[in-house]
Amino acid sequence: MTTSISRRGFLAGTGLTALGLALPTSLLTACSSGGGGDLKLWMDIMGTANQKYFDDKVVAQFQKDTKLKLNTTYYQGQDLRRLIQTALQAKSGPDIVRGASATQTLAWSQAHLLADLSEYEKKYGWSDKLLTWAINAFTQDGKLWAMPMRVDTMLLYYNKTLFGQKGWKLPTNKDELEALAEEAHGNGIIPFGATNVDWTAGPEWLMTVFWNHYSGPDALYQALTGQVQWTDPVFVEAVELIKTYFDKGWFGGGTDKYFSVPSQQMGASFGAGKVAMFPQGEWWMSAVGAFFGKKANNSNQWDWAPFPALQDGVAFPLYELGIGGSLGINAASKNKDHAAEFLNWYYTNRQQALQRMADVPATYNLPIQFSDADIPSGIDPRSKRLLTALNKAVDDGNYGYVTWTWWPPKSDVFVYQGLEKVLTGKMTPKDYCAQLNTTFQQESKTGALPQIIKRGSTQ
Amino acid sequence: MTDVQVRPGPGLVAADGVPPPIRRRRKWRRGFTAWLFMLPLIAVNVLVVVGPSIATIYYSMTDWTGLGPASFIGLDNYRHAFADSAFREALIHNFEWLGLFLVVPGALGLLGSYLLSQIKRFQILFRTIFFIPYVIASVVNAAVWQNLLSPTTGIGPHVGINTAFFGNPSTSLMSVNFVVDWHWWGFLAVIFLAAMQSVDPELYDAAKVDGAGRWQQYRYITLPGIRPTLVFLGLMTVIWSLKSFDYVFIITKGGPAGSSEVVTTLMYREAFNEYRAGYAASLGLSLAFATAIVLAIYEILRRRRGWES
Repeated sequence: MTTSISRRGFLAGTGLTALGLALPTSLLTACSSGGGGDLKLWMDIMGTANQKYFDDKVVAQFQKDTKLKLNTTYYQGQDLRRLIQTALQAKSGPDIVRGASATQTLAWSQAHLLADLSEYEKKYGWSDKLLTWAINAFTQDGKLWAMPMRVDTMLLYYNKTLFGQKGWKLPTNKDELEALAEEAHGNGIIPFGATNVDWTAGPEWLMTVFWNHYSGPDALYQALTGQVQWTDPVFVEAVELIKTYFDKGWFGGGTDKYFSVPSQQMGASFGAGKVAMFPQGEWWMSAVGAFFGKKANNSNQWDWAPFPALQDGVAFPLYELGIGGSLGINAASKNKDHAAEFLNWYYTNRQQALQRMADVPATYNLPIQFSDADIPSGIDPRSKRLLTALNKAVDDGNYGYVTWTWWPPKSDVFVYQGLEKVLTGKMTPKDYCAQLNTTFQQESKTGALPQIIKRGSTQ
Repeated sequence: MTDVQVRPGPGLVAADGVPPPIRRRRKWRRGFTAWLFMLPLIAVNVLVVVGPSIATIYYSMTDWTGLGPASFIGLDNYRHAFADSAFREALIHNFEWLGLFLVVPGALGLLGSYLLSQIKRFQILFRTIFFIPYVIASVVNAAVWQNLLSPTTGIGPHVGINTAFFGNPSTSLMSVNFVVDWHWWGFLAVIFLAAMQSVDPELYDAAKVDGAGRWQQYRYITLPGIRPTLVFLGLMTVIWSLKSFDYVFIITKGGPAGSSEVVTTLMYREAFNEYRAGYAASLGLSLAFATAIVLAIYEILRRRRGWES
């Protein structure tokens, strides 16, 4: 059967087809531009309970307080940075930008993807309410590009029940740590839980610990400010030490297991007493509880301690400081004022901010100024101890530097990708430091370094 | 001037009696209408295929970081790729992957389809079972095998094998490839079985009369009978091998220390971790070029040896 079509009918059909093609495109454009109306935020909060908390205590509360609408979409952590970066490049994406590290954020600002927040900073007086060193990390050429999101440090989590049963004492120096690791390993217990299966950047946590507690924060400061090279023996020795520990099977049960056992399994072993200690960031405090107690079918308890000094002359306790991500404003957003209003609400509503710190361990540790007396009651004592310890470390000058805040982007990537090669024997610690040095020197010439927190007591 | 009326002769009038100018106009209009119908598809194709392809070629010759503007640097990225040991290693992994992916699932698929063709009862059940891994999402398959091959909670520790297959640089690539082979061979078996069922049964009867054994029947009747299917799936396997990404990315992310890195995961790493999107584009085009060479060789062999006939 042949169907005929009139010219008019054909033209009408073509027109409708064109409209059909054009309409979704225009709708997509309208959706992505974020023009007027609702604010958009993409976040990397995982787990139903954590997302519900954010929905209730941040999104709903903000909407109630300001009458503005905030739409939040949740993504997996490693996906979020890629998605946001792609969206920003396309002049699209969320109004409020959840950035990764300080150096990452500065890279975005140099590409003109983030709005300059300096005017908002003056308007709302953010510098008076946030910690200066944290604000400075996101300030370049006198312009503030993002707000620091969370104070980061590294902790040594330990199975408190196991330590009690074995009569082990918390190590404070290298000799004590190695003696403890030897004994645990001899008893068939993995001394240090570790894995990079779910977070490929995991090796940089370990490098942060070893460079700070072996090489020391003074040496790191000198290297980060170009006064010494990364090829200095003090940095090479730290890499050699970590390699030695891996070769002994102390970390994760061996190098191959470090690369193949998922974090859930490693965490379960920690809760069950098959792993003695776990070097991890403070953010893990909100997740580690899942491996202990009734939920995990055991009666064990966890706690944390500062990492021991691995060389004479390195302070103990010492906390490496950094910022876990940032919140900025999309340069292409048509909602910049409202986005700034959200940032102001999030950071300067002091009581609510402190309450969030108390409610969810270590997740909402904003770099705002507070004294120990300001910490709300009802907070988990382990979480409170962290807050007070960090305040004291800053006051006393006993702080170091985390790689994901103070190292430029490519150098930071090399820190964890290169360490994989060292651990698998494809690269020597000396070559690793030499290659890091080359990358670092190249990047530092491009102005990719943030304003680093200086040595000595500061705020 | 004399008004001469030209009568159309046999060469000027078509059989249907329509004069040539009108026929030409109708032909042109039909062609025009066809092009108008195709126009939306062409527009979409230009938008999503041709445009990005041209952009990729352009960006492969720039120092684009993936952020901000890009500067033209000519063929520097390609020169760097030739000298880049990570790229060479990843490309070698791709060819190792190709070899394994051509042989292992292909052999298992042929064996499985032959065994299935020999049974009548439960054949549909077994076909379904063989096909299940293919329809399960890659993330699920990957998670299943990550658990099964886990050095702490997998099968290994229960039978005295204490190997971290995905975490050991010497076994990581093979282990990921094993998972992909497992996912793929059942599909091949079902497709090969369908092809085998289209082979004329009289050929087998004649071969039996001539005294041919099972192997001879398989070698001289079954395999030539399913050759077009074998050739087509072989071609597709080559293409899929060289652009493999999902399982490697999900299970090992190319690690440890690049031991299971293939070019696509290296491209991803260069573009999104190392901020070298221009270089990543050049790697993608280099891979496309390598794929084109392999396919050209395959096509030449196919034509010269008459593999599809």
